[in-house]
Amino acid sequence: MPRHIAALFFLPGTLVFVLFFALPATSILLEAASDAGSAVARVFADPVFWNGVRGSLLIGTIAPFVSLVVGVMVAIALSRLAPRLRTATLVAITLPLTFSGLIIAYGFILVFGRSGFVTLLLAELGFDPAVVGQFIYSVFGLGLAYSYYLIPRVVLVVLPAIMNFDATQIAAARSMGASRLRALAGIMLPQIAPSLAAAYALTASVAIGAYGTALALVGTQVNILPLVLYSKISETGTDMPAAAVISIVLMAICSAVIALAELMLGRR
Amino acid sequence: MSIEFRAVSYTYPGTRIGVSDIDLAIADGELLAIIGASGSGKSTLLKLLAGFLVPDSGRILVDGKDVTGLKPEDRQLGIVFQNYALFPHMSAAQNVAYPLKMRGIGRPQRLEQARAALVRVGLGDFTERRPATLSGGQQQRVALARSLVFSPRALLLDEPLSALDAALRVGMRDEILKVQRQADIATLHVTHDQEEALSLGDRVAVIAGGRIAQVAPPRELYERPATRAVAAFVGEANLWQGRIAAPGRVALANLDLAADTEGFAPGDVVTVMVRPERIGPAPASGINVFTGAVATDRYLGPTRRVDFAVDGVNVRLHTHVREAFSAISIPPDAIRLLPAD
Repeated sequence: MPRHIAALFFLPGTLVFVLFFALPATSILLEAASDAGSAVARVFADPVFWNGVRGSLLIGTIAPFVSLVVGVMVAIALSRLAPRLRTATLVAITLPLTFSGLIIAYGFILVFGRSGFVTLLLAELGFDPAVVGQFIYSVFGLGLAYSYYLIPRVVLVVLPAIMNFDATQIAAARSMGASRLRALAGIMLPQIAPSLAAAYALTASVAIGAYGTALALVGTQVNILPLVLYSKISETGTDMPAAAVISIVLMAICSAVIALAELMLGRR
Repeated sequence: MSIEFRAVSYTYPGTRIGVSDIDLAIADGELLAIIGASGSGKSTLLKLLAGFLVPDSGRILVDGKDVTGLKPEDRQLGIVFQNYALFPHMSAAQNVAYPLKMRGIGRPQRLEQARAALVRVGLGDFTERRPATLSGGQQQRVALARSLVFSPRALLLDEPLSALDAALRVGMRDEILKVQRQADIATLHVTHDQEEALSLGDRVAVIAGGRIAQVAPPRELYERPATRAVAAFVGEANLWQGRIAAPGRVALANLDLAADTEGFAPGDVVTVMVRPERIGPAPASGINVFTGAVATDRYLGPTRRVDFAVDGVNVRLHTHVREAFSAISIPPDAIRLLPAD
């Protein structure tokens, strides 16, 4: 292929990168630096911001971890199904990825909210609906809602690695004296670790950056960075330089998570 | 150290497939090859011995000790798997050192032993290489070294050569035999390749439908198969239905064959077996000489495979003769009579 035609193939990607990453990122940086960088001091002095960081780190740790544990188990179960059944199940499992965060939030409210189906069912068994119905509006409830669409992501990332793993290696390890658990830990785990790290990094950055579900579910009751950011650009109390600083912090956290995963993979 | 199956039966849950009533003994230092068609139960036997399956009934003894209820990790058996099952994230030396690691041997010591084991199989220069960078034959040697490095009580070979090129396979047979002889342990070799079984096994067991059809030294198995099924499975054979016409005579459609009929009485219906390589072109007359016509003629390089029609009977023969011929001879001592099915 002539070089100038090959170069054409790079054009769409370059255009998207410039328009939707380089330009916005630059303008955010400029915005954050306006007022001689006073926004940085303002944001860092705000306890609401630090609560948001704490909340985001908490949800960015719990939700991906829970999703990873559940997702890996689902992937192992899927890998043992007959191919057609596996495909059908996979389609059903990945369906949540097509829903918007808003729909998921309302779905959770309908099921677990103060007058939700499960809440009322548990009330019949004597559980206080005021307490049960509150769970979904907490950081943990939010983590649960996040897991709903993080688990399919984990399954999609981890399943190929598990499918490609040759199970006779476990049989071989056992014949050489390893217990089943030791064989799984020493032989299977190192081989699927890259995909586990990738799945963790992906879901953690999604969980830290997600905003729609959080806003619809908890409004601004729970302090997480995307909602703190939202409060800075909503009609009341708009503070664009502060919003820009928070955006940079949010991007930095997500990039750090991904860099950490890459670092762990690089060390193998 | 010996291996023994005593009346072992196993059926896969929800199916009728498995093995039944297996009695089999492999002596210390002996290599027993098991051949059978796909689904005949040969791999099931290996899994039962390895401990990956537990028999429904019967007992399995290794070195006289009952191992029927033991987990695979407690059986001390060296296994070479069909795809080698090498650990891709470890070097060749680490792979071979793995069973030593499981036995609590310190890192420097186990790696030294592993390297020495690799030198013994001719891979001294490849100890730090990952399996993916080794050829099929080299991976096979690593697997062999790994299965023997911890001085197992018996060696199990699960179609170890099936993933190799035909040319390499023949060379690796000698390698396996050499290593097995050095280790001097009871070895169960599962294969679907008859030639491999006949060339490697001290004895060969034929398994069909989950039962042992015959166990015999290779030559006896080939030349004196016990049943029509064994004769048909091991090598190529002409198998015709006949009837004992008189002592020393077998009637076969319109043919009358001179053969050793000992053990059968006139009137008995028998299966007449003759290996194709024992039949050859012949002058027009003589004992068991029949005239006919060539029906098909396949050139196989060193030999020709000919289907020769004699009075409605199809006779298959393998011959080195390149010229045309119109008569064949079936030597009486090439004819083996088997009970009719």
